Amino acid sequence: MPEKWLHSVYRYTLKQLTSKWYRRCRANLEVRRRLTWNIFQSIEYAGEQDQLKLHDFFNTMLMNMATDGDGPAPLIKAFNVNKRESIYDTQTMPDTSEPSLYSMLNETDVEKSYKGVHLSFPLTHDQLHKMVQCFKRKLASSALTTLHAKYTMELLLEVRKVLKTQPNIRYASTSISKQFTICGDLHGKLNDLYMIFHKNGLPSVDNPYIFNGDFVDRGQSSVEVALVLFSCFLMNPNEVYINRGNHEDHVMNLRYGFIKEIQRKYKSHSSKIISLFKDVFSWLPLATVVDEQILVCHGGISDTTDLSLLAKIDRHKYMSTLQPPGGCEDIKTMKRDELIEWKQVLDLLWSDPRTIDGCLPNTFRGGGCYFGADITEEFLKKNNFKLLVRSHECKTEGFEYTHNHKVLTIFSASSYYEVGSNLGAYVRVQRPDLECRIVQYMAGHSPAIRKISFTQRVNIVEQSALQDLKKRIIACKNELMKGFQGFDPTNSGIISGCDWCFTMETVLEMELPWRTLKSKLVKSDDSCGVFYMSTFEELEVKHRYSGNGPSITETLYKNKDNLETIFRLMDADHSGQITMQEFQDALVILIKQLDIKIKETDIADIARSIDLNNDGLIDFNEFLEAFRIVDNLGKDKTHCIDKADTEEEIAHSPQKAIDIKV
Amino acid sequence: MAGADEQKDNTDSIIADIQKRITEAFDMFDHESNKTVDVREVGTIIRSLGCCPSEAELHDMLNMIEEEEPTGYIRFEKFLPMMTKVLMERRYKPVPEDQLLRAFQVLDAEGKGYLSQEELTKYMTEEGEPFNQEELEEMLSAAVDPDKGSIQYKEYVSIMSLEET
Repeated sequence: MPEKWLHSVYRYTLKQLTSKWYRRCRANLEVRRRLTWNIFQSIEYAGEQDQLKLHDFFNTMLMNMATDGDGPAPLIKAFNVNKRESIYDTQTMPDTSEPSLYSMLNETDVEKSYKGVHLSFPLTHDQLHKMVQCFKRKLASSALTTLHAKYTMELLLEVRKVLKTQPNIRYASTSISKQFTICGDLHGKLNDLYMIFHKNGLPSVDNPYIFNGDFVDRGQSSVEVALVLFSCFLMNPNEVYINRGNHEDHVMNLRYGFIKEIQRKYKSHSSKIISLFKDVFSWLPLATVVDEQILVCHGGISDTTDLSLLAKIDRHKYMSTLQPPGGCEDIKTMKRDELIEWKQVLDLLWSDPRTIDGCLPNTFRGGGCYFGADITEEFLKKNNFKLLVRSHECKTEGFEYTHNHKVLTIFSASSYYEVGSNLGAYVRVQRPDLECRIVQYMAGHSPAIRKISFTQRVNIVEQSALQDLKKRIIACKNELMKGFQGFDPTNSGIISGCDWCFTMETVLEMELPWRTLKSKLVKSDDSCGVFYMSTFEELEVKHRYSGNGPSITETLYKNKDNLETIFRLMDADHSGQITMQEFQDALVILIKQLDIKIKETDIADIARSIDLNNDGLIDFNEFLEAFRIVDNLGKDKTHCIDKADTEEEIAHSPQKAIDIKV
Repeated sequence: MAGADEQKDNTDSIIADIQKRITEAFDMFDHESNKTVDVREVGTIIRSLGCCPSEAELHDMLNMIEEEEPTGYIRFEKFLPMMTKVLMERRYKPVPEDQLLRAFQVLDAEGKGYLSQEELTKYMTEEGEPFNQEELEEMLSAAVDPDKGSIQYKEYVSIMSLEET
């Protein structure tokens, strides 16, 4: 009898202990998941902010500098995309009769060796089908080519012709189809698009679609996604609606990968195709209204959003929405009307909803605004709408309702940050009440990956987020060291956790829960002291060219994205090469923007050292090869910096410890 | 005198550090950035700060900080002092791993080294605090060895405690 009693006590204890302990594990996991999300989002938005800072900077330069003289004027000129003469400036050009269009096509022949799909226009269902199949095979084997340059150009010209006839805001109706599908950001992820078509069918009269922008950049298959979407659009121009997103923008494409992808896939034909995409993007409609009840646009609204005003503007002026339209050089000389009009477009493409009432400038992204529930309420009421569907922000579940169910965010790229980081989703709007049915999915992975447990998924995604974060940390090594050493007057190698957090937050300018992250990034002693050198373990900036010291290498690395963006801008013919002089100009500008001191001779040294084959030209590969973060995992991983080790190192050679390996 | 001051300084800095940790954990769940969190997520916040209260204890904690007219949200200004106190007094400390293992071993009377799914389900759902169906399924999905179809508890306990660090 006592044994049975004991057993029941143990059973009870086990249950108590297990559930308490299990819930705590779950809580930790949840916190890690959120943390990972924060890291990815901070890094993503930091990139967007950089891009905007760069813009503000160039705009200031535009205002203050004469465009002649020997300064970096060509660069600045290059930067103003809206002003650069489009090869096919449609405003003044009679369309199909323009000989240059045809000559461009005629210059391009389809080689006999081409094994891809052949297209003829008007497109047939059969051709679309073949193309879809071909891209699918290509996903499995990268050896296959994408659609031939000639067909790509023909397709883009056809799309452009149709887009030109469409208004800025399109009106869709469910009266025939009884339902409507809306998809959000795809970002070059063909797997997600195919997943949607697989689950929901190809677009047709009975099955209309709205693609709500941002189908290019970031992913590996932006070209294919764009071509499939455009083909669907050509086949069903009245059933497929494509809204412009903030990434259907030449300036964004320079930084976020689309231009690079085109250059890789189309080689010598790329410059023509880049120009065509740029032009086609500027013809994309800005928003779609379903049954006069639902507004669908990429970003959102502001307190000034006015659909009747938006309907009237010439959207083609905005080759890039990030710059003043029509080659206007000085924002100050822009007419009030022009500014208002520009803001209308920016707000529609760049804004995010927030819970705080009112309308604030979107400081996180740097463009558009944050709009509160009151702004939504007012806007919907004024226009007699019941819902705003927008995209633009990645959500863990692929969708999110905010503003009392009046705003729906829909995001269709699953695993956006990392395998398993988030679900993708699309929404089916159904008659009679336009009820929204959300469908979620995770695309493109083997069943094994789909089945991994929540814990494993958190682990994988967390690793990748920490890796990305480490890269940013390494890029700021010098500044961080300065901060740490400021708290360590005796060179002990140890500072308090609090000081470490403070330094990380202020130097990196990232608002992350550093206390929670601390244990994942640095080693600590028992009394919460941090061995700050361990912040930089495992990863180091490697630069093939010595002699310029760590600071310039780091500076350049930190601004690698900015530099690359500038390069792509300067490379007006998209040949992938720029001159030494142009490179130096870019550096001078960047250095001035950052307000740092680097000797002119150092700049020349760097430029020379990058041009490996001495042909006076620098190509992007040479440039990117020159600066990279190297994962030092090769070296003994079991080696931990212990206290004695660190002290010795720092005492004997404080400088050595912060040198960057060459 | 100086010694007392020093000690006071020390305590102050410990409190300051604890409060920063609480703030970070809270902010991670404060979706609207208005210093409130959903009452259903408070348990996760408390547990992520290293406490292991039972559901009943959690309920008591919530009672202390909830508004007079419950809104479904908990305000930071109420959460902070309560949580600071709990952490300073080191209450609701987690169970040591060996104690948990011991409980498993006693229930595995035959010393097989594992429990079947049915056994664990029975223990977790009978009497005492409710462990709801969702939690149970989640727990089983993580605990059951996919090849053997049973709970290899020794492995499981060590995996789960590894993840705590």
